[in-house]
Amino acid sequence: MEQFSPIKRSKDGQAIRYLIVDDSVFARKNLVRMIESFGGEIAGEAGDGMTAITEYERSKPDIVLMDITMPQMEGIESAEKIVQQNPDARIVMVSSVGYQENIVAALQRGARHFVQKPVKPEVLYEVIKYVLGEDGVVAAAAGAGA
Amino acid sequence: MTQFPDDRDAEMRELFFDTSQELLQSLNDDALKLEKSPRDTEVVRSIRRTVHTLKGDAAACGFKELSELAHKLEDALAGDKPSLPALLVEVSFKAVDIFGEMLTAYRQKTPLPNVTEIKRMARNLASGVPATRRKKKAANPKTPRVIWTEYERKSADVAHAEGKSIFHVVAHIDQLCAMPIAALQLLTSALGSIAQILGSRPEAESAAHAKKLELLIATNAAESDVLSKSRIPTVISRVECFALNPAEHATTKAAERPSAPEASPAQDQLTETMESETPETVAALKIAENVLRVDAEKIDTVLNLVGELIVAKSMLQQTMQEFARVHSKDPLRPRFSDAMAFQSRVLNDLQRSVMKIRMVPVEQLFRRFPRIVRDSAKSCEKQVQLVITGQETDLDKGLLDAIAEPLTHIVRNAVSHGIESPRERELAGKESTGTIRLNAYHQANQLIVEVKDDGRGIDAAKLKTKALKAKLISAEEAEHMSTPEALDLIFRPGFSTADEITEISGRGVGLDIVRSVLLRMKGTVEIETQPGQGTTFRLKLPLTLAIIQALMFRIEHRLFAVPLNAVAEIARAWESDLHRVDATEVLQLRNQVLPLVRIGQRRLSEVDSTKEKIFILVLTFGERKLGLIVDSLEGEEELVIKALDDQTIATDLVSSASILGDGRVVLIMNLAAVMERFTKAGTDVRQPGAFSRAQQGSPSAEVRQ
Repeated sequence: MEQFSPIKRSKDGQAIRYLIVDDSVFARKNLVRMIESFGGEIAGEAGDGMTAITEYERSKPDIVLMDITMPQMEGIESAEKIVQQNPDARIVMVSSVGYQENIVAALQRGARHFVQKPVKPEVLYEVIKYVLGEDGVVAAAAGAGA
Repeated sequence: MTQFPDDRDAEMRELFFDTSQELLQSLNDDALKLEKSPRDTEVVRSIRRTVHTLKGDAAACGFKELSELAHKLEDALAGDKPSLPALLVEVSFKAVDIFGEMLTAYRQKTPLPNVTEIKRMARNLASGVPATRRKKKAANPKTPRVIWTEYERKSADVAHAEGKSIFHVVAHIDQLCAMPIAALQLLTSALGSIAQILGSRPEAESAAHAKKLELLIATNAAESDVLSKSRIPTVISRVECFALNPAEHATTKAAERPSAPEASPAQDQLTETMESETPETVAALKIAENVLRVDAEKIDTVLNLVGELIVAKSMLQQTMQEFARVHSKDPLRPRFSDAMAFQSRVLNDLQRSVMKIRMVPVEQLFRRFPRIVRDSAKSCEKQVQLVITGQETDLDKGLLDAIAEPLTHIVRNAVSHGIESPRERELAGKESTGTIRLNAYHQANQLIVEVKDDGRGIDAAKLKTKALKAKLISAEEAEHMSTPEALDLIFRPGFSTADEITEISGRGVGLDIVRSVLLRMKGTVEIETQPGQGTTFRLKLPLTLAIIQALMFRIEHRLFAVPLNAVAEIARAWESDLHRVDATEVLQLRNQVLPLVRIGQRRLSEVDSTKEKIFILVLTFGERKLGLIVDSLEGEEELVIKALDDQTIATDLVSSASILGDGRVVLIMNLAAVMERFTKAGTDVRQPGAFSRAQQGSPSAEVRQ
C-alpha cells in the first residue's frame, strides 16, 4: 500500500489514535491498514454502536471512524451519544452512498465528516487532516525520521 | 400508458396559462412604470426578462407563434436605453394585449390574432436601438444567478442592519463526492460555526443531483474565513464568495431613490444582484418558494369537511352536557371536558388554516386597475391618477373573482363620468389631474371596497330628469323622490347618465348588474356624492366566513341567528317604551333613537305587552344601527354556514342556514339586506309600503321546505 506522510498530534507529536467501529471484520481490517499507512495508532475497535460508546470512554481516541448500519445500536445513535458526553469527539461517518440521509442525520447530531464506501485511502487521508485541523500536523517526510 | 403524456401535456399547458397571466400582469405593470419614468433602465430590463421567460415557457409548451413573437420582441428590446421610450411603452402595452389574445386563442383553439402591427412596431423599436447587448452581458459576468426568496432577503436585511456582512457562497461539489445532500449538510455545519445561514440552493430535499451549492450567509467573519471554512477536502472542490453589501454602493443608491422607504439600501442591493435572467433560475425560484397550485374545489372540500367536524363537535358537546346532568359526580366528566376543550382548540386552528388558504390579498384584483384607468383616461382625453390603498386586505378568492367585473365598471365610470375634462376642472378651480382612490378594508365582518373620485359628483336633479325622459319613473314619483332615492335610480336597468355613450363605459355591465352581482353575494353597494366634490362608491361584502360565531334567538318559535360581531348589545324594554314615528317603531335607548324592526307577523296590539319585557337586539351594520325585536334568546353557537340557493328560499333577508348538533335547522339573517330594507342611510325609514313588503318578505313566511 501506498505510504502517506504520517499525521501526528500537534501538541505532543504522538501518533493519532483511532477507534474503528464497524460490524464487518473485513471493513475494520481494511481501515486499520489505511490508518497504519497514515502513521496512526489503533486505540480500539468495536463491532456495534453500544460497544463503541464504552470503547470511546475507555480509550479516548482522537478520531472515531464509524459505520452507519450496525447491530445493537446504529452508528447515528452511537455517534450522538458519544458527542453528548464528549463534545470534542471527532467522529467521521463511513457509509455507502445509499445511506445519504443517515449521514445527514449523523452530521446534524455532531459527526464531523463523512467518507463513502468503498473508502479510498487518499480521501480518508484528506478527511482526517481536515477533521484534525490545527490539532494535527503532517510530519515532514515519510522515512525522514527513521 | 397512452393517456399519460397527453394528461401531462394538458397539465403543463394549464400551468403555462396560469403563469403567463402573471407574466403579462408584470409586463403591464412595468409598462405603466416606464410610462411614468421613461429613463428607468431597470424597468426595461425587467420587461425584457418577462418577455424572455414568456418566450421560453411558450416554446416549451409548443406554442410556436407566441414564442416567435416574444423572441422578436426580446430582440427589439435589446440594450438598456432604448432611444424611443414612448414607443417602447406602446409596444409593451400592445404586447400585453396581443399575448393575451394569443393565449385565449390557444386555449379556446380559435384563430390567432394578427401580429403584423406589433411586429412592425417591434421593428421600428429595434431600428432605433444601438446594439449594446453583448456589452451588457459581459459587464457583470460573475453575478451569481440565484433568486433568494423575500424571506431570505428580509433576513439578510436584518442581519445587515446588525452590522453583519452578507455573502453569497457558491461551492462546487467535488467530483469524488457522490453525496451532495451530505455535502450540503457538512457545508452548512462548517459555515454554521462562523455564520448564520439565511438560505441555501438547492434545498436539502432537492439537492440529490446538485453539482454546486449556493448559500446566503450573514457573518461577522471576513471573506477569507468564509472561504477557508467552506473548503472541505473531498467534498467541496472549489468555492467562490460574493459580498453582497458594498457600503459605498448602497449609500449612493439610497441617495438616488429617497422616496422608497420600504426598500432599504441593502435590500435594493440584494434584489438587484440576485435577480436572474434565465428561465432556469426562475424555475428554481418556484421550487424554492414551495408553492403548490391546488384546485380551489379541493380546498372547498376540505373546508366543508371542517364544517362537518364542527357540527360533530357540537353534537359531542350536547351529549356531554346531558351526560354531565345525569352523572354529575362521574369522575370521567372533567376528563371529557379537558379532551373536548383540546379538540375544539385544534378544530379552531384547523378551520383558520383552511380559511387562510382561500384568502388572497385584494391586490391581485387592484393591480389591473392602473392600466384600466390609463386606457380609459386616454380615450376620454382626461388626466387621471389612481391611488391604491389597502391592497394587502385579504379576501376570499371566490368573492374576489366575482367583484372584478363590477369594480371594473365602477372604476371606468369614475373616469369617464366622474372626472371632468382638464379644462372643466381648471375652470372649477381644481387641479387639472383628477384623482381616483381605490381602497379596501375590513369593517366588522365585512370587506369594504371604495372607489372615490374627486370629480363632478352626481346631480340628483339631473338623474330625475333623465329617468323621467327614459320613462323609468312617473312625474309624480319624481316629485316625491328624496335625494337618496334619486341616487338609487342609477342602479335601475336601462339607465345611463352620460349624455353620449362612450366606448369605454357605455358597454358591458351597467350599474344595475353591479348591484345584482353584489346582492347575489349578500353584499351591498352604496353611493355618497357631493356635487362638484366627487363621488364614492362603496361595495360591502360579507367575508364569506363559512363558519361564524352567531347569536341565536327565536321569533315566533322559529330559530334564527345573526353574526355575533354584528350585535352591539342586547337591550330589554317594555312594549310601552316603544314609540311610533311615522310608520316605524323606535326605542329611546339612552340618548339615541333606535329604529326597530319586527319580523314576526304579530302586530303590536296582539301582544300581551304588559306581562314582561321584550328583547331587542341592537345590530350594527357598517354605520347603521337597528333594533330587532325577538321573542327569546337561545345562546351563542359556532355555526357552519350552508348557503341556500334561490330554489330553497325566496327572500334575501336570510342568507344561509346551519344545522345544529341536535339536527335542528337555524336560519342566518342577511343583515345587509335587512338593513337595506328597513333603514335608509341610517335614518330615512321608508314609507308604509316598505313595512308591508317586509312582512311579505319575512323569512318565516317564505322558507319552503
